[in-house]
Amino acid sequence: MLSIQGRHALAKLMLPFFIVLAVGLIMLGLTRRPVVDTVRMRVADGLAPAYRLISAPQTAFMRLRQSVTGLADIAGENARLRDENQKLRRWYDVAVALANENAQLKASLHWIPDDAPNFVSGHALRDAGGLYGRSILLAVGEGHDIVPGDVALDASGLLGRVTEIGARTVRILMINDDASRIPVMLSASRGNAIMAGDGSPYPRLIYYAQDNRPVEGERIVTGEQPAPEGRDHGAFAGMPGGLVVGTVHYLRPGSPVVVPEASLDHPDIIRVFSYSNADHAGPDAPGRVRLMSPLPVAPELPFIPFQKPMKGQG
Amino acid sequence: MVSHRLPHDIHPGIAPRPTLRRRLDQLMRALLPSLFIALSTVILSAGLSIPGQGELSFGIAAGTVFFWSAHRPLSMTPTMTFCIGLLCEMLSFGPPGVFLFSLLVFHGVAHLWRYGLSRISFLYAWALLGGLALVLSLFGWVIACIGTLTLLSPVPSLFQAALTIGIYPTLSAFFTWARSTVADPEQA
Repeated sequence: MLSIQGRHALAKLMLPFFIVLAVGLIMLGLTRRPVVDTVRMRVADGLAPAYRLISAPQTAFMRLRQSVTGLADIAGENARLRDENQKLRRWYDVAVALANENAQLKASLHWIPDDAPNFVSGHALRDAGGLYGRSILLAVGEGHDIVPGDVALDASGLLGRVTEIGARTVRILMINDDASRIPVMLSASRGNAIMAGDGSPYPRLIYYAQDNRPVEGERIVTGEQPAPEGRDHGAFAGMPGGLVVGTVHYLRPGSPVVVPEASLDHPDIIRVFSYSNADHAGPDAPGRVRLMSPLPVAPELPFIPFQKPMKGQG
Repeated sequence: MVSHRLPHDIHPGIAPRPTLRRRLDQLMRALLPSLFIALSTVILSAGLSIPGQGELSFGIAAGTVFFWSAHRPLSMTPTMTFCIGLLCEMLSFGPPGVFLFSLLVFHGVAHLWRYGLSRISFLYAWALLGGLALVLSLFGWVIACIGTLTLLSPVPSLFQAALTIGIYPTLSAFFTWARSTVADPEQA
């Protein structure tokens, strides 16, 4: 047992000791951030059912409010739906015609279709970015096969990419996060660029060709990005091309940004697509050019073994 | 003849028996500030779509630690502050260590100046909390900038400091009531 003086001295040392531990945690965060994030993901993963329980009354209230609002304006809603239905019927006819034409063209080209990607839908559980980051935690349930790098989309467009995986949850880095860099393609000019998040609602467009500048209103889709190590990439997925991202807008002359189609402020239901098994590298079909063995770059020289110099030869 | 008049509720030499139930009651009352922070942090870390949830969580934790460290240090010891800070760290996704460090500094300053804080008016104590909130929020911003190697916007930090300052009078009024009622271990 410690004496009273000893206990007092120990009590006075506790706070400096804890402050040193806190500084150590700050240092660990600056040098080994993934270690801390892994622990946080495990905690969030364990708390996922509690989060759902906490937000349940709010979800129920929002549904009730939506129902009451719908009931109050039921006549207007009906009229709007009738108009929309007519438009959709016209679009349906166009879509069927285009699908038939597309099928004929693919049949005549002997098109080999890509593997259909798996996807998992889930509710956004909570914000997982802190003050400066833009990321969310998504509940996807147990037994998923999501890997880091998989893409997350809401009903309208690209939302972000998966960065951390838990047993029941995944963390999604949104496209407007400061660390986000997405390869994109300008749909009209087919030019490439990088979409860089900066914390604002509108990610910037950088690294585009100077003779092929983005045009105001031009649609932006994702650019093809193979997995880091080709097909057998293992644990990091590549980016499929052609996913809807948004449209180009100039906030200031010379600095184009993307107005995202996805709802970055209040994401709710999100789908995470797993393109791990999708074949982006194309089939191993034999080419028209006959393969030949590589030619030597220089004629081979005869091998002369080293001989000892004789006496008197220097 | 001098008569010593005592308040009705004080009976020197007579104390209730320290039963298990009374001890648990005392413990719960002493832990009430820490439980309040833990509960509010868990609730505010859920996706409630409230603007500024993370900032509000920091404001509540900082205000609670500051008040109880100054007014009843036994209800907010360094160990309790550390445990609460660690929980807040695990539930937040900000720069690691900053939340914990900030709470420990709030505790240290309030505990060190507790006699002075009990003598000065509320406004001076509020100003001290405001200064601390501003400095520590900007410290968090500097650590985030170093962590990402980019110059981030300091607006979220300033908003966090403003929210911490703005919520403290309400918290203080609530805790002043709780200190003499539900969170008073003497009343167990």
